[in-house]
Amino acid sequence: MIRINDVCKTYIMGEEIVRALDHASLHIAEGEFVGVVGPSGSGKSTLMNIIGCLDMADSGEYLLDGQRIEHYSENELAQIRNKKIGFIFQNFNLLAKMTAAENIELPLVYQRVGQKDRRERVAQALERVGLTDRKTHKPTELSGGQQQRVAVARAIATNPSLLLADEPTGNLDSRTGEEIMRLFEDLNREGNTVVLITHDEKVAARTGRTVRIFDGRIEEGV
Amino acid sequence: MFGQSMKMAFGAILSNKMRSFLTMLGIIIGVFSLVVLVSLVTSATGSVQAQISEIGSDMLSVNIFTDQGKPIKAADLAEISENEHIGKVAPAGTVYVTAKFERDSADVTVYGTTASYFEIQNLKIAEGRTLRGFDLENHTYVAVVDANVAETLFPGKSAVGKGLSLNGTRFEIVGVLESNDSFSGMMMGWNTVVVPFTTAQRTFSGFGSIRSFYATAASSEDVDAAEAYLREYLTARYGTEDTFNIFNMNILAATMDQVMAVFSLLFGGIAAISLLVGGIGIMNIMLVSVTERTREIGIRKAIGARRSSIMSQFLIEALALSLVGCAIGIALSGLTVLIFNIAARSSEMLSQVSVGLSPTVVIVAVCFSTAIGLLFGLYPANKAAKMRPIDALRYE
Ligand SMILES: Nc1ncnc2c1ncn2[C@@H]1O[C@H](COP(=O)(O)OP(=O)(O)O)[C@@H](O)[C@H]1O
Ligand SMILES: [Mg+2]
Repeated sequence: MIRINDVCKTYIMGEEIVRALDHASLHIAEGEFVGVVGPSGSGKSTLMNIIGCLDMADSGEYLLDGQRIEHYSENELAQIRNKKIGFIFQNFNLLAKMTAAENIELPLVYQRVGQKDRRERVAQALERVGLTDRKTHKPTELSGGQQQRVAVARAIATNPSLLLADEPTGNLDSRTGEEIMRLFEDLNREGNTVVLITHDEKVAARTGRTVRIFDGRIEEGV
Repeated sequence: MFGQSMKMAFGAILSNKMRSFLTMLGIIIGVFSLVVLVSLVTSATGSVQAQISEIGSDMLSVNIFTDQGKPIKAADLAEISENEHIGKVAPAGTVYVTAKFERDSADVTVYGTTASYFEIQNLKIAEGRTLRGFDLENHTYVAVVDANVAETLFPGKSAVGKGLSLNGTRFEIVGVLESNDSFSGMMMGWNTVVVPFTTAQRTFSGFGSIRSFYATAASSEDVDAAEAYLREYLTARYGTEDTFNIFNMNILAATMDQVMAVFSLLFGGIAAISLLVGGIGIMNIMLVSVTERTREIGIRKAIGARRSSIMSQFLIEALALSLVGCAIGIALSGLTVLIFNIAARSSEMLSQVSVGLSPTVVIVAVCFSTAIGLLFGLYPANKAAKMRPIDALRYE
């Protein structure tokens, strides 16, 4: 499903050149649960942004479902993010002025799903993460774990083929982190492809396959 | 999608009410001044035009500066009135005298004229009668006084039948005019006494021959033809156009129209400038809003918002700001006009003035506000739409 071949991404910070991704290659098959693990600053988020079509590599090729991403227009990329990918971020990235239900609804709005259908799918997603009774709460009225579950619900509401999680437990205590991890395990068991980025070896150990990244270089794990 | 954008736009406006209000203030003031000022001018034009047509815009007034020994006589006026384009003709000479009754006195303007004068000037009699042909033929000493004179010299009493001394000559008052605060009243002046032309010629030194007269056109379509005829007649008589002047009420109406149009444009221009300033205010706050919400834009883009979705979200927000401002401005204008009308009704001078919101200017205000919202929303909205999702997401 994901094929990354020899991808480079460099940032120029003044005099310094940062090789965030240095000839990185990675293949991920449909239905896999992949953990990308590496120390802070090793290029994990950069990798995820490229996989998630939020950013473009400088060189190398990236094929998503057999299609080269570089050929797509901005609007097509927006559509891919909308339909194929569900993002879960370390800091949740929920819209503060919207309720949980509205946050979950938003990608469906951009997909132009009808209102009735939307409501149904929001209800399903809320149910899936166990937050049906919190649907009218704003993010500030929810705990960190609950916020992250709303984010997961938002990611799965569109039935994407790929879930991308960047340090989803990074801002959570171990107990709520555990809840989220279990959610990912369940989602993977249900057939979702999950890419989970973490610097935590214990978290990585629970994935199906671990990929190590160090200074922008990817090494397949143990 | 559109409904969703509307919801989001109003959500954004309501979430920061004070800021939204201050942003709208420019538009509110602009729309308010535009609507109120233009409505005022339009209503004023309407009431002035109504008063002009009350005098009759088919009236012509003729002044002769020098008669070169060929003064206009009553017979000449009769000849003029025979013309197919001319309706009625009345001579009018004025002289300023002191009117006395017992101890009271008043400075008055005496009009020496004929019975037709009352019809030409649209003067109504409140009591008694107007001048008659008989009065002119026999140069009787009768006078018709206006309500002012009647009130000054005969307070609380009927003036009809009383004697009045004009520069020492006794006249009998046969009629009192209706009090007239219209435009024609203003033109004639207050404190007027109307006497037969022939009597005035005999009585008042310096009254002399007919130096000015009024005529009406046979119909309102004949005004120009009537004027042309008079011009031709007088030019033939005096050999030059420089010795007389013909004043056409149509010109007054047209000039009034022009003046009002200039006022409308001037006020409209001032209002347009403040609307423009309001638009800049909206653009400013929208730019702030776009920057503040960079992260939100990033999130929206990450979960699949297209450029156009972001664009329309911010455009609708700018539009909503300017249109809500416009609505408040119009509501305020309506309220102001209402209060003005209530106040005017209880004031003597303005009792006949009634201002209504001009529908045209309301439509113009809405169109203008829409244009302003779109125009000044475009740049911030485009700035938001152009953001790269990755940069927007990383923004702190
Ligand atoms: N937008 C950027 N501009 C400059 N340097 C960046 C940018 N994004 C990431 N980097 C640098 O690239 C490297 C990899 O970053 P990142 O992928 O965020 O690492 P990780 O997520 O593993 O902590 C780091 O050295 C970081 O400082
Ligand atoms: Mg990171």
